[in-house]
Order: sequence, then structure tokens, then C-alpha cells
Amino acid sequence: MRYLLGVASVAGISMLATMGMVILTGYTGLFSVGHAGFMAIGAYTSAILVMRFNVPFLLALVAGGLLATLCSLLIGHTSLRGRMRGDYFAIAMLGFGESIRLILANTKPVIGGAMGLPGIPQKTTFWHVLVIDIIALILVRNYVKSQWGRNSIAVREQEVAAMMMGVDVAKVKIWALAISAFFVGCSGGLWAFFMTYLQPAQFSQTRSSDLLASVVFGGMNSITGPAIASFFLAFVPELLREVAKWRLVAYGAVFVIIMIVRPQGLFGYKDIGFEHINKILGKLGLKRRRYADVSQ
Amino acid sequence: MDRFAQQAVTGLSIGSIYALLAVGYALIFSIFNFSNFAFGSSMMIGAYAAYYALKSPSIPTWAAIILSLLIGAASSAIIERVAYRPLRVRNSPKLFLMITAIGVNLLLVQSVVVVIGGEYRALPLPSRLGVISLGRVNIAINDLLAAAVSGVSLLALWTFLEKTRLGRAIRACSYDMSTASLMGIPVDLIAFLVFAISGFLAAVSGVFCAQKYAVSPYVGDISNKAFIASVLGGLGSLPGAVVGGLLLGFVETMISGFVSSLYRDLFSYSLLVIALVFFPQGMFGKDVRESL
Amino acid sequence: MLANEVLVIDGLVVQFGGLRAIDDFSLSLTEGELLGLIGPNGSGKTTLFNATTGVVPAAAGSIRFKDTELIGLPSNKIATLGISRTFQNIRIFPRMTVLQNVALAIHRIPLYSVWEAFLRTKKVVEADRKVEAEAYEFLEALGLQDYAKREAGTLPYGLQRKVEIARALATRPSLLLLDEPAAGMNDQECVQLQELIQEIHDKYKLSTILIEHHMTVVAAVCKRVVVLNLGKMLAQGSVRDVQSDPRVIQAYLGERRSRYA
Repeated sequence: MRYLLGVASVAGISMLATMGMVILTGYTGLFSVGHAGFMAIGAYTSAILVMRFNVPFLLALVAGGLLATLCSLLIGHTSLRGRMRGDYFAIAMLGFGESIRLILANTKPVIGGAMGLPGIPQKTTFWHVLVIDIIALILVRNYVKSQWGRNSIAVREQEVAAMMMGVDVAKVKIWALAISAFFVGCSGGLWAFFMTYLQPAQFSQTRSSDLLASVVFGGMNSITGPAIASFFLAFVPELLREVAKWRLVAYGAVFVIIMIVRPQGLFGYKDIGFEHINKILGKLGLKRRRYADVSQ
Repeated sequence: MDRFAQQAVTGLSIGSIYALLAVGYALIFSIFNFSNFAFGSSMMIGAYAAYYALKSPSIPTWAAIILSLLIGAASSAIIERVAYRPLRVRNSPKLFLMITAIGVNLLLVQSVVVVIGGEYRALPLPSRLGVISLGRVNIAINDLLAAAVSGVSLLALWTFLEKTRLGRAIRACSYDMSTASLMGIPVDLIAFLVFAISGFLAAVSGVFCAQKYAVSPYVGDISNKAFIASVLGGLGSLPGAVVGGLLLGFVETMISGFVSSLYRDLFSYSLLVIALVFFPQGMFGKDVRESL
Repeated sequence: MLANEVLVIDGLVVQFGGLRAIDDFSLSLTEGELLGLIGPNGSGKTTLFNATTGVVPAAAGSIRFKDTELIGLPSNKIATLGISRTFQNIRIFPRMTVLQNVALAIHRIPLYSVWEAFLRTKKVVEADRKVEAEAYEFLEALGLQDYAKREAGTLPYGLQRKVEIARALATRPSLLLLDEPAAGMNDQECVQLQELIQEIHDKYKLSTILIEHHMTVVAAVCKRVVVLNLGKMLAQGSVRDVQSDPRVIQAYLGERRSRYA
């Protein structure tokens, strides 16, 4: 049971990070394989704040997320302004992810260098993850439904047309990046206090690809798709221990196949809402008559 | 002063490798208007092909090298055919192309990790071919060879693009693919050629890097420097890629030699940030804006 | 700038490499005027719109909109100043609903902050409701209310055009730039369109510049037209005057000749 809760915690932590990627890539259409850098910033910052400065756990998590957000503003304002092409941002994020990993690997005092930072207290519980995930889901859903979310979608669909209409494209993109950095940073903090040790190698470009995978598999323009995908993807390595080493190979192949065959992902452009749940319940004969009218 | 000259020579040799890589990346960028983030995998394939070809007793050294370069070129062309073309003909958004590129990179690099193993190996070539002395400066022949091969390759490429009909057809495509195809230019053939050339350049760099450092699945990560060099020179500009690559390699080596080698890569990434802030259009002034 | 002039272009030059797409062009538009912009293909009409909306940079000259210099401003800033344009190839958002397309024009600058959006406060819900209601009004004004929840990309071409116009109107512009709205339409659709343009012009008192090849539409709604050829103004006046101007005929014939050469 404890084992299951452990895996569920990892899945939940992954889902929190995925929510950040949903806003960045799924809704605003920005491409990043450097977000592991934000995760690392959140992880190390919160760990150090708790271990050295006795900052309360949750406050440290938020602080880690905020520092990640601050860093994202630097990247955002340099590579997302004006009408700069997405390639600049992609290259900048690539460089950022690598830079963070290098800085961490080469800084011995406090951070521990390549050997890592051990002895982090185990503070992340399943309940922490669950509550934070629920809050995150609500926040992201609210964002997507709002005028900011709609503008993000417009930027993703037709950036130039959106700009011509008066949407401040740069602002929307920079906000999306900042929000994604915060979510991913906080997930890094949760990760640190779950794993109890940190190493720069945990935050490589491969990790960034992992973050992207949930959105690619789960689908663009969807919240539930990537949420389910991130959960599923966290359990897969456990279920398929034998072939675990092929996991990343499979990811790569699936990326390519999905883009060719079904680029909108599994649940792209669809979200599972109450109407769907009612329909499913109805099919199972479990629908209560009270809700019968609502679903019509 | 001698140390300076020494570092300068090394810097130029590394710079010429970066220039090769940057041109390979910029070539695809200028024609197809997207970033081939799977570029590094062609480096890796070239390096491993060289490793196995050189280890095989029946293949003479020169043939092994040529073979590995051709394999590198072929791998790039195959990637285009299998992964990018379906998206290209559908006019898929750039985002999808970038995701595919990362997918290809992940697939190929991790396949090598699983099947062959991630340990570093040495390329079965003499790691030091000897040294030429010019006054008090010792120049490793390897470095000289790297610079020479890069120079020759780039010259050959330039000649091809400027002086041959096929080359000019390729350059015509860089302005407008659909117009080019309407004019009767075989776009698929162009795609094959451009990616093959890019893969060839990547393989050359891959072999040199493998020999200088080691054969590893992650040798392709050096292509990150190519992206930075291209930004410095102006994204999509071929002369910019050359100058950017040389400059980056040179300055990087100087910093590494006189300040600290630990911060060599960090310095390059900082240079990228500075470039993005102050001159994103690069030295050769390319338009940074998203196309209409 | 005179008090009732809404747009003044002075000596505009737009250069693409060696080509002068706009060559020392000047124009003055009075408030509430519906001006036609015509000329052979490639004469620079769309480029003029692009320069005005900040899509392409100007090499020289000035474009003043109500005393504000437009050259050098980013496109989204120009749009929020009160200039709205449509495109030759329709650029609505095909996967959004018709209602969402029009609503986007209204909330292009969100009416609340990101923080409020996250918390979905009462203010947010109310603002969203208001935007939706306002968008509906614009749909009704163009007879599109029945298509509100349809995905915009599934509509027939003519209706998509209407959605684009509705969206442009929803930004509440003072200057409307219509780029070949009748492109691809048959005669009957053209008549409907010209009635629509007239209606919009009368109802909203919008200063408008209309690029069009369908002369019937231009003749019906424009009192003044400007003829552009090779980036320069060739002639201006009423449609009748311009159509009988020998230089204009030459320009169009020249185009015909080179096309069939």
C-alpha cells in the first residue's frame, strides 16, 4: 500500500509539472526542452531553505517556485519579445536547462556539486501531492476558461492574426512561461522532499523531454488529457520493469508517430467534464435519475 | 604570448568544427524554416559508424572514414523522409516539427544507450597524430586537420551552392517552397540533398569530436553550440554560421584556457543570452520575426 | 493634420530588398470616408495595409493616424489604437467557435488580471458574461447568431468572411481596412457584400479603406477611389472618372498584356 502511495505521489508530482507544460505548450504553443532547469531551481532552493534556514515546508516550496519564475522572466523577456520566432525561445531554453545543470554540477558548497545533495527530510506525503494537484487543476482550468486562456489559444493557433487583432502576444507568452516555471518549480520542490536526495543528473534534457511527453501524449488544448497521460506515464515504468530501459526510446518513437498520425494527442481539444462522466455512468446503468435531465 | 598563440590555434580548430555544425544546422533552417533539433543524432551516428568501421579489420582507414560520413549523411536524409516530410507536406505548425525533432533525437540517442551502451569509447585512431612546431608554438596535427577538413568542406559547399544549377535551385527554395515546386523544382529531391549535406557535415564534426573527446551517445550535445553560433551569426545565414562558429570556438577556448574550463559551456550560454538581448538578428542581420 | 482627417500618409516608401513596393505614396482620408483602393495585381495595395498595420517596416515617409505616428509601432499597439483589418486569405481561428472568434476581438486586452483569472472571481465571471453578450450583439448585427457555437472553420467561405468582418467590427475600430473581402465570391454574394459594407459604414460611421478587384462593389459603395500602380498613386477621383482615365486603362491593360504574353 505504501508502495502504491509512493508511486501515486510521483505521478502526482509529475502531474503538477504537467499542468505547467499544459499552459505553456498545450495552450500557448511554446516549445521548451529546458524546463528541467526550473524544476532543479525549485528543488534545490526549497531543499536548502528548509535544511539550512528552517523555512517551513510549504513556504519553501512556494519560494522555490517563485525563484524559478524569476529566472523565467529573464528568458522570457530576451527571447519572447517582439515577434521573435519560436526557435530563439527553444534554443534559449535548451541553453538554460543545460546551464542550470552545469552550475549545479560545478558548485560544491551548499549544493554539493555533481555528487548531489543528500539527506533532505522526507516531507512530501501523498496528501500534500493530492491537495496541491487539485488546487493546480482548478487554477489551470480557470486560466484556460478565462480571457487570458482564450488569448493564449489564439496565439497558439495563429500568432500573427492574434497580434494584428491587438493581442499583446509577447505578454501572453511571457505570462505562460512564468506560470509554467512556477508550477514546474513547485513540483521540483515536492520532488526533492520525496526523493530525499538531489543530483544535477536528475535534471537533464531527458527530464525536460519527460515533461513535454505528457502534453504530447495527452494532447494539445486539453487539461484532462495530459493529466491522465502524466499519471499513466508515471506508473508505466513500474509496471514494465523488464523493458524499463526502453522507455525513452519508446517515448521518442511515440513522439514521432503521434505527430504524424494524431498530432492532437489522445485527448486533444477535448476535456472530460461532467457531461461525459454522466454519459459513461448512464451507459453503465448507474446514472441516478436526478441527473437524467441534466445530461440531455 | 606563446600560450595565447597556442590557445588561439586550438580555438580556431574547435571553431572550425563549430562552423561546420552551424552551417549544417543553418542550411536546413534557411531552406525549410525550422530548427532540426535532431541534428546532433547525425553527429552521433557518424561517430559510431566510424568507430565500428575503423575497428573492422577488413576496411582500410580511409574507406572507413568515408563510409561513416556517408552513413551520417544517409541517416539525416532518412530522418527527413520518415519523420519530417509527412509534416512538411501538411504544412504542420512549427511546434509539431520541433516535437518530432526532439522525438527523433530521443529515439536515436537512447537506442544507442540501450543497445550499445553509454560508456565512453575511444575512436580507433591515433589520438595524437603528432605536432608541428612553428617557432615556439606547437600545433597538434589533429587540430590542423580539423580546420583543414572543415575549410575544404565549407568551400566545397559554397561552390556547390553558388556555381551549380542544383545548388542554385536549392537556394531558390529558401525563399518559398511552394513557389519553387510550382516552378518545377523537385522539392523532395532538394529535401533529400539538403538533409544529406547537413548530415554529412554533422558526421564530419562527429568523427572529429569523437576522436578529440570520446565516442559517446551524447556526442551530439555539442550541436547545442551550433545553435548558439547560428544565433550569433544570424539564424539562417550561412556565412553567419561560419563566422559565428569560428568566433564561438575561439572565444570559448580562450576563456577555457585563461579563466576556467569548468565555465566554458556556461560562458557560451551566457553569450547566447547577451546576443538575444542586444543583437538577436545576429552579425549578418537576419529577420528575427515569425514569418507571415 | 486637418481636424477631420483620420489618416494621413505622407511620402511613404516601402522597400523589399531592391524592390520599391511603395514608392513615395501620399494619401489623406477624411473621417467617415469610404475610400476605394484599386490597382493591378502587385501594385502594392496589400503592402500599403501591411505598412499601416506595422507588418512591414517603412523605409521612409510617415503614416499618421489621428495625430499618432504609426511607423515603428508594433502591430498589436496599432490595432488597439483603433485600426482593424481583414485579410485576403481569411485569418479567422478555424478551431474556435464563431462566438469565440468575435469575443476574442473584445477581450484582446483582457478585462482582468491573470491573478483574478486564476481565482475566477465574481468580477471575472461577470466580465466573461458581458463579453459574450457583446459578441452576440455583433453576431446578430451580421446575421450570424445561428452559427454562434459552430466551429468557425466548418462554415462556408462566404460566412467565414462575415465572421472575419464581425470580428474586425468587434474591436470597435475608428479605421477599417478591408482587403479584398469579395475575393472568391460570385455576383450574388458580391451584391450581398456591398450591401453589408454600406450598412456597416452607415451604421458605425467607420472610416474605411476598401481594396477590391470587383468593380461593381467599389462603384456601389465608394465615392472616391485611389488607383495604385507599381507602388505609386496613379489617379484618384470618382469611380467613373478613374475608369475613363487613359493612364489607368493603360495600367490594367499592361497587366493583361504581360499576363498573356
